[in-house]
Amino acid sequence: MRRVVAIVVVLVCLAAVIGFQGTREVNAAGDPRVFVPSPRFFERLAPSFRTTIADVYWLGAVQYYGEHVDGDRRLDSLPAMLDLVTTLSPHFIEPYLFSTFALVDAGEPQMAYDLLERGFKANPRDWRLPFQLGFMAYTYGPKETKAKAAAQWFAIAGKLPGSPPFVFRLAATLLAKGGEREKAALMWGQIYSQGDKYARAKAVAGLEAILPTEKQPREKALVPLYRTMPRSDFDALVADLVAGTTP
Amino acid sequence: MTRLYAVALNTFKETIRDRILGVIVVFALLMIVASLWLGSISLGQEARMMKDLGLVAVSLFGLVVAVFVGASLLHKEIEKRTVFVILSKPVGRAQFIFAKFLGLAVTLACVLAGMGLFLFLADWIVAGSPAPLLLAATALIYLQLLVIVAVTMALSTVTSTILASVLGITVFAAGQLSRSALSLTEFGQSAAMKGLAWVVYVVIPNLNAVDVKPAVVGESSPDWALIAAWAGYLGAYAVLALVLASWLFSRKEF
Repeated sequence: MRRVVAIVVVLVCLAAVIGFQGTREVNAAGDPRVFVPSPRFFERLAPSFRTTIADVYWLGAVQYYGEHVDGDRRLDSLPAMLDLVTTLSPHFIEPYLFSTFALVDAGEPQMAYDLLERGFKANPRDWRLPFQLGFMAYTYGPKETKAKAAAQWFAIAGKLPGSPPFVFRLAATLLAKGGEREKAALMWGQIYSQGDKYARAKAVAGLEAILPTEKQPREKALVPLYRTMPRSDFDALVADLVAGTTP
Repeated sequence: MTRLYAVALNTFKETIRDRILGVIVVFALLMIVASLWLGSISLGQEARMMKDLGLVAVSLFGLVVAVFVGASLLHKEIEKRTVFVILSKPVGRAQFIFAKFLGLAVTLACVLAGMGLFLFLADWIVAGSPAPLLLAATALIYLQLLVIVAVTMALSTVTSTILASVLGITVFAAGQLSRSALSLTEFGQSAAMKGLAWVVYVVIPNLNAVDVKPAVVGESSPDWALIAAWAGYLGAYAVLALVLASWLFSRKEF
């Protein structure tokens, strides 16, 4: 009899535990205001574990973003979380890149820009940070200066190791768009001399768009490129460009 | 020397018989599950997460072995009365303490080597390239844990197993905060408080000084000469703790 009672009690408790917990709404978004301690607190409290704490908060920030961005769209604590992660682990690149879109979603594009700038200061050899800064400058900057500002960031990114060739092309295009034709021409010259066949065609097309159409003014405009390119490349570029000019 | 070796070997066998090496299996399973889980939630940062959280797991699993086994080593001998048999032979109490420490040090070396190697290989598979710094970090965690074993053994000569374990864990935690104690000396006007903070800083083992976890994930570049000097400091600290343990044990009446 005792055994039966014990089994019944165990089964009832088991059903209550599993039944209650199992029927809770697991996908419900949590409170958007999460307590995030100051980075200084962790720096002082656990210097040995600062990167680990940054990693844990990074996982938390990704979860937090995923939980709220498709739900209540409230990302109140995301800026503090990303600030904490990047302060505790300043060479961890991914959170800076993540902030580009996540903080914009949180309504903080300026903070995203500032965070990327901070990231670039800490990691001046990583081309992705100035590239994202260029993207942010072009997307959220003032209309009059955005092309020039973005071009400057893309030009910085294009000079860093590992950057794909299109970054420099993007900078040259935006410089031309921002009215900086001379700088754009120099940049296209670099693309021409360093690039493959495809890049050369792009450089010629880019220069065609910004150089004068008459032969003499065009040759004159190409003179500054002479000092920045190998002779053979310069001759080939001039040949490509002057061939289709009007005398 | 032979007597020291015999007691150390016996301690090693005894701890191994306690299925301590099972910790490696639990660690391995944890890492496999963690790598699968982290791969899906870290936005492609599973290699970094595995390195960082893996080293924390190595620290914590190692700490559990160091503290709980270290605290019970002497008490077990006393409870089982085997200590009388050993000490009736030409084995000094200090020799006994050092031998016990050596035995546990070898067990801990096996446990940490197993976990460190598994972490190294798992990370190699996930990241696609080996990270030898992981092995160096594991070796330095081992050094930290040797200090904790020595301190816990010293504490276990004057307290119960449980209290010695708790205090051992506390010393490990305090050792990570050693620099904070030093920074306390900068605050306040009272010379007495500043002096006290300095004493705390000196008494607590500075475990943080040989920590290279941030370097493993690319946050800093380790100064190996400085780390070697701090490793020497920790070695000396462990010896001091063992001498203290021997002295306390020599005064103990059964």
